[in-house]
Amino acid sequence: MTTLGPTLLPWLVALPLAGAALVPIVARRDARWAGGFTLVVALVTTSLASVLVAQLASQGPFSADLGGWAAPYGIELHFDRFAAWTMPLAALFAFVIPFSWRYLDAPLPRERWAPFYALMLLNLGGLLGFSVTGDLFNLFVTMEVVSLSSYALVAVAGRGVAAWAALKYLLLGAVSSLLVLFAVGLLFALTGSLNLADVSVRLAAAEPSGAALLALASLAVAFLVKAALFPLHVWLPDAHAIAPSPVSAVLSGLVVKVGIVGLLRVLQLAAGTGISLEPLNTVLMVLGATAIVMGAFLAIFQDDIKLMLAYSTISNIGYIVLGIGLASPFALIGAFVHVFNHGLIKVTLFLAAGAIIHQTGYRTLSDLRGVARRMPQTAAAMAIGAVSIVGLPPTAGFVCKWYIALGAFEADQGGYGFALVFGALFIFVYYVRMLDAFFFRSPVRPEVADAVEAPWSMRAPVLVLAAACLVLGVLGGIPIGFVEPAVVDLLAALGR
Amino acid sequence: MTLVGLDLDYVACVVLFCVGLYMLVAKSNLIKKVIGLNVMETAVFAFIVTSGMIEGGQEPIVVAGSAPPYTSPIPHAMVLTGIVVAVSVTAVALALIAQIHAHYGTIEVDELKELP
Amino acid sequence: MRVFALALVLVVAATMVIGIAGLPPHGDPDGPVHTHVGARYLEQGVAETGLRNLVTAVLLVYRGFDTFLEVVVIFTALVAVLALPSATRQPPQSRDESAAASRRDTDDAVPVSPVVFLVVRLLAPFIAVFALASLYRGHVTPGGGFQSAAIIGAMMIALGLVFGREHAARLVPHGAKAWLQALGPLVFAVVALVGWRLTGAFLGFPADEAAHALREALVVILEVAIAVGGAVILAQLFMALDAPS
Repeated sequence: MTTLGPTLLPWLVALPLAGAALVPIVARRDARWAGGFTLVVALVTTSLASVLVAQLASQGPFSADLGGWAAPYGIELHFDRFAAWTMPLAALFAFVIPFSWRYLDAPLPRERWAPFYALMLLNLGGLLGFSVTGDLFNLFVTMEVVSLSSYALVAVAGRGVAAWAALKYLLLGAVSSLLVLFAVGLLFALTGSLNLADVSVRLAAAEPSGAALLALASLAVAFLVKAALFPLHVWLPDAHAIAPSPVSAVLSGLVVKVGIVGLLRVLQLAAGTGISLEPLNTVLMVLGATAIVMGAFLAIFQDDIKLMLAYSTISNIGYIVLGIGLASPFALIGAFVHVFNHGLIKVTLFLAAGAIIHQTGYRTLSDLRGVARRMPQTAAAMAIGAVSIVGLPPTAGFVCKWYIALGAFEADQGGYGFALVFGALFIFVYYVRMLDAFFFRSPVRPEVADAVEAPWSMRAPVLVLAAACLVLGVLGGIPIGFVEPAVVDLLAALGR
Repeated sequence: MTLVGLDLDYVACVVLFCVGLYMLVAKSNLIKKVIGLNVMETAVFAFIVTSGMIEGGQEPIVVAGSAPPYTSPIPHAMVLTGIVVAVSVTAVALALIAQIHAHYGTIEVDELKELP
Repeated sequence: MRVFALALVLVVAATMVIGIAGLPPHGDPDGPVHTHVGARYLEQGVAETGLRNLVTAVLLVYRGFDTFLEVVVIFTALVAVLALPSATRQPPQSRDESAAASRRDTDDAVPVSPVVFLVVRLLAPFIAVFALASLYRGHVTPGGGFQSAAIIGAMMIALGLVFGREHAARLVPHGAKAWLQALGPLVFAVVALVGWRLTGAFLGFPADEAAHALREALVVILEVAIAVGGAVILAQLFMALDAPS
């Protein structure tokens, strides 16, 4: 039984990818089968992920040597607590996909359903691969699977505007991917190895060189573009707002986390090499705090609810990056727990917004006044999501932001703690605006006044996710206890 | 070959990278931007392949008549994968540009920005 | 924009040159690239993998998972293009005269010169043979599945340009298209499964001498799947991009 984890780990990545290749074949007879098949693959993958997490909990981190070649000669997949905490993100796919079934009726003709679901599974497989890989070049390739499917998903249902938003995303994304590849090349030329742990050890043994610094800097910049940290966020608002709502949920909740996980890998790479991370941490703190305030500030002026949620993602990425930059135990724990919690909250919000848009045909706050009267359940889910993202107790957002704030004071950076509270205030303002429009105004549009709740395949995922936001708030100690050992190890490796 | 301590082959890759970057940033035509991106990619591939070279080396195919030293096979494998990735990104970019052209009738960024 | 671009390029160039100055000189036989992982591949690669072309050995045996993801990436590109609305079937939205005119231009196929027609027709069989040779001789000469896929794909595109895409589309049997385009990822998954049963490692290749033939068969199956799947995807990408209805 001891080898169960390493045996199953490669299939966690291979299964959704092979499933994606099968989607067009399954859908040949009837396009509707694509959605069901995709859900089955997503559920099997999720169960596989939970088995792996259980293995980790019982026997600690484990690795799989692909092809039987021991690292650094082959590719190593590594399942540590950071990777494990991204696994629940994969479970969110199991909610997004049934939501897509009915949602796609309108915007997507049937012959394009199979490619759509295939892209979703490719995205899932790429994300899982990115989280668990212990190999630098493999990191690049899995990142490309995620990125390429994301670019296309932005443009699937739209016309010119969507294609233009997707192309802007693609051009910036491709440059950042290229920076990663360049950094991989530099590190390979320096160390002769591609295994993350091995590269780190060999960098530490070698003389410090400008090339190593350039490689780490390229990686950091590239991942910050992927994470859409202000001011590298320019591609995000259009792409996330124009995409179909299930796609927005995946992009905003999950795909931006590629940048965060990548950033953590950079920290692990730098640990022990003697390269000072102080400049990087300072940059991360300043940009993180700026992102919190600017994201929230820009969100206030949006009338379009999806654009508002997109800016809120920029703000929340700011929280995570600030937490990483503070590099104190509390802040890192809060930041990392927020990687999943933000994903959960943002998927809830985007799916709820999608249900409202799908049922009414409107997407701006001024048009959607009074929507809570006819869609009380969806509006309630939206309210729970809003309270969570503001960070009020007892919701999933509270624990993370509380820990990051504690971390700021712990690191003697109280000023950032205030930036954080200040940002939360802005966020509070714009969600209050939204809730006010939904609950306390009279409908101005007949479609809103006559709206009905979304079909169950859309409503159930939204309601379950909203409940999860509350549960994770009440049981906030569990994820904290889960990631804590990993954070302690990372900080020890970083010499703090 | 080196000049004032700089490896000229690597410097050539940097120059090529910057030519591509300039195209990507300064050109208004979307196709030219994508070509710029491809030039940048080529520069990085050239850099990686160069790093695997060895003085007087042969291609790493061990058959009768070949003898060490061989160039390192890893950069070749990496670049082969990189090329496939680059082709894929280019294909998706061109498909998106075709969409933009069909919808707006232009692929110039200057004109796209003026549209409502 | 130009000034900004020039400034950016200068800053990037300066940063990169400073960084690159810190690299060990390339070509040095004692450099890290040639003394660590690469050295083991060169010394034991032929014995461990049974492949004489060590680039293929790295691609398929030592780092097969990367190559699995590589065929997944190109499959992603295909489904990405297929998921997008067909560019040429969209109703023109802007009433701009020049836009409409340019759309008309793309609809009228440019007549193919008889020279091009003849040359492509004459060359096509030779190109196909070259692709097969590149696949077949890939273990002892530069070449292999991806190279072969690129050559076959290029041939299909050339034929599509000359004969029109309806004729070229017949090169890929319609009923098998969904299977053929997914050939790369699926065959990789199956080989991974076989390797798992035989050796206990995902994508493992049996190493003992007795299983030499089986190992060779697995490699050949992978190469053929990469070549056929890759070529079908490349041809389909081209036809999806250039699809006058």
